[in-house]
Amino acid sequence: MISTYYLQIIILAGINIIMATSLNLIVGYTGQLSIGHAAFMSLGAYASAIATLHLGFPFIAALLFGAVVAGLFGVLVGIPTLRLKGDYLAIATLGFGEIVRIIFLNLQITGGAVGLRGIPKQTTLLWVIAAAIFTLFVLRRILNSRVGRALIAIREDETAAESMGINTMYFKTLSFGVGAFFAGFGGGLFAHYFRYIHPNVFGFMRSIEHLCMVVLGGLGNMWGAMLGAVALTAIPELLRAGAEYRLLAYGAILVLMMRARPQGLLGESEQTGGSIRRKIRIFSRGADTLKKT
Amino acid sequence: MKKYRLTMFIVLVLCMALLLTSGCSTQQAAPGTQEPEEGTVEETVDVKVGTVGPLTGGAATYGLSVSNAVQIALEEANENNEIPGVNLVQISEDSEGDWSKAANAFSKLIDQDNVNVIIGAVLSSETAAGGPIVMDGEVPTISPTSTATGLTEGNPYLFRNCLSDEVQASQLAEYAVTELGLKRFAILYTNNDYGVALKDAFEATAKEKAEVVAVEAFMDGDEHFRPQLTSIQQKEPDAVFVAGYYTEAAKIAQQAAEQAMSIQILGADGFYSPVLVEIGQDAIEGATFTAGFFSADPNPVVQSFVARYTELFGEEPDMFAAQAYDAARIVIEAMKQNGTDRQAIRDGLAETKDFPGITGLTSIDEEGDTLKEVLILKVVDGAFQRLR
Repeated sequence: MISTYYLQIIILAGINIIMATSLNLIVGYTGQLSIGHAAFMSLGAYASAIATLHLGFPFIAALLFGAVVAGLFGVLVGIPTLRLKGDYLAIATLGFGEIVRIIFLNLQITGGAVGLRGIPKQTTLLWVIAAAIFTLFVLRRILNSRVGRALIAIREDETAAESMGINTMYFKTLSFGVGAFFAGFGGGLFAHYFRYIHPNVFGFMRSIEHLCMVVLGGLGNMWGAMLGAVALTAIPELLRAGAEYRLLAYGAILVLMMRARPQGLLGESEQTGGSIRRKIRIFSRGADTLKKT
Repeated sequence: MKKYRLTMFIVLVLCMALLLTSGCSTQQAAPGTQEPEEGTVEETVDVKVGTVGPLTGGAATYGLSVSNAVQIALEEANENNEIPGVNLVQISEDSEGDWSKAANAFSKLIDQDNVNVIIGAVLSSETAAGGPIVMDGEVPTISPTSTATGLTEGNPYLFRNCLSDEVQASQLAEYAVTELGLKRFAILYTNNDYGVALKDAFEATAKEKAEVVAVEAFMDGDEHFRPQLTSIQQKEPDAVFVAGYYTEAAKIAQQAAEQAMSIQILGADGFYSPVLVEIGQDAIEGATFTAGFFSADPNPVVQSFVARYTELFGEEPDMFAAQAYDAARIVIEAMKQNGTDRQAIRDGLAETKDFPGITGLTSIDEEGDTLKEVLILKVVDGAFQRLR
């Protein structure tokens, strides 16, 4: 039988696949740079955990409840913020992520700074595999439809898309909502696996980690996002042997991978992914100066 | 470009090679393994002790203190052959201060390394995430620093050895009434989680046994306390409990002296710093406070720990290190009494009673929580002296 440790890494990788592919819909296909994905994950995690703990929901209902709550917040937050572009949208989503984290840190029902304990363990490997397949299936259906083509058109050139009769605001919000829905779904699985949640794990760094998975795997490529999710879950664990050099090596590997394949492991060619990559570059320069202050 | 890729590839390979070779560094086979004595062919068995805590990131200083202190305790046990035929090996895992990573570390220690006992985790959220994992794996775990209320409840495998704000404040109140004979208390607290927790616990205990005549708040970093002190002075208390840190405490003492208030000053572990006396000078003389650890304690166990820690790591051990050292000593004691397999250690930990640790006399209650007689220190001639 497979050891619990490996099982745990596989389950985490599965949850990260859901997170990365749903973020890929927003960032990779629609071209909207969101760095608040972990906030939707935490909304789903808390909503589903509270649903099982206090409302007595069965697991599947709790998962869907968490996903719907996250999706609703995605739409609510998307309507005003998606009017912003590039780094402005990134900063707005970053702010949203921090607000959610701080609210959960101070609410009674979420356990505040102590965290929420005693969530029943429901997530199994089978659940995670089924959930990941479900996510991929839905995202694939969306992307291969009229909606998917509209999203890609928005990514390529918003003005051109608008002039072709695409309601860009509607499709951007839709993509944001669907992405948030699946992030909440992943959050629910996460909460019911660890049986404990605390707001600090859904902070800014977690959102960046999800973004790294997407960029590393290849923007606008579902297989790439999956590969990125698996790689970035497994590498830090494989490096455990390296003790204090572990995170140093992890960083070095990220830098080398991006240097060797700037379009991501399975990324599309430079032309299609170019615009969003440019936005990320501009933003990361901004984040650097932000960090220094 | 092609040449570039080749160089990159070589660098990557070298990085991986470096990682593989440095892999041994986590498993510190503590030196001083006893050679089997002549005549007796006794084989030493390795018993693995895991530690989990942040070794990188913002909270790394706590995690390192814990890991270092455990290392010293295990080395000492091996050198003195305290558990015959057993060599204790430490496996230290990083949590990055992130509880989901701590959960991975717990699982790895239990499944991959097959440890018999875990000392950790450090942050309360990390220990809370590890709780269900160690319960499923049936591995005894003792956290030296996680103070969140109710953490160990309902988990027979989770214990802790630490000092909560509530416990020290209520013990101080009790000590002040019974030993110091004080009757009328005023409380001056800093308005943050630390100050409020201390104030609430002190007030509750003091009200049962004596009187609380005034409660005043101040903000972090305040410089002037005269308004609060004047209002306290009118109520004529015997003592004022300052629930805050040493800088403010020293200034409060000085401003009270300037107002010709002769009053006993009480405090908690936030007082424990040389700066208290540096700023407070004569005014702070006689102040009495609780502490988690007293590094100048003449007790030889404390002195040898402080000396060894300073020699190995180049700095004085802090309270976290001292509590981790005690936690490791409690684990070793449990192994000596009961044996080294997981269940035996668990039972041994649960039975811990009046263990003479460097952080005070320690027992573990039926919920796995600590009952500790906290240290009480007093400022005498500009230096700290242990009262209890």
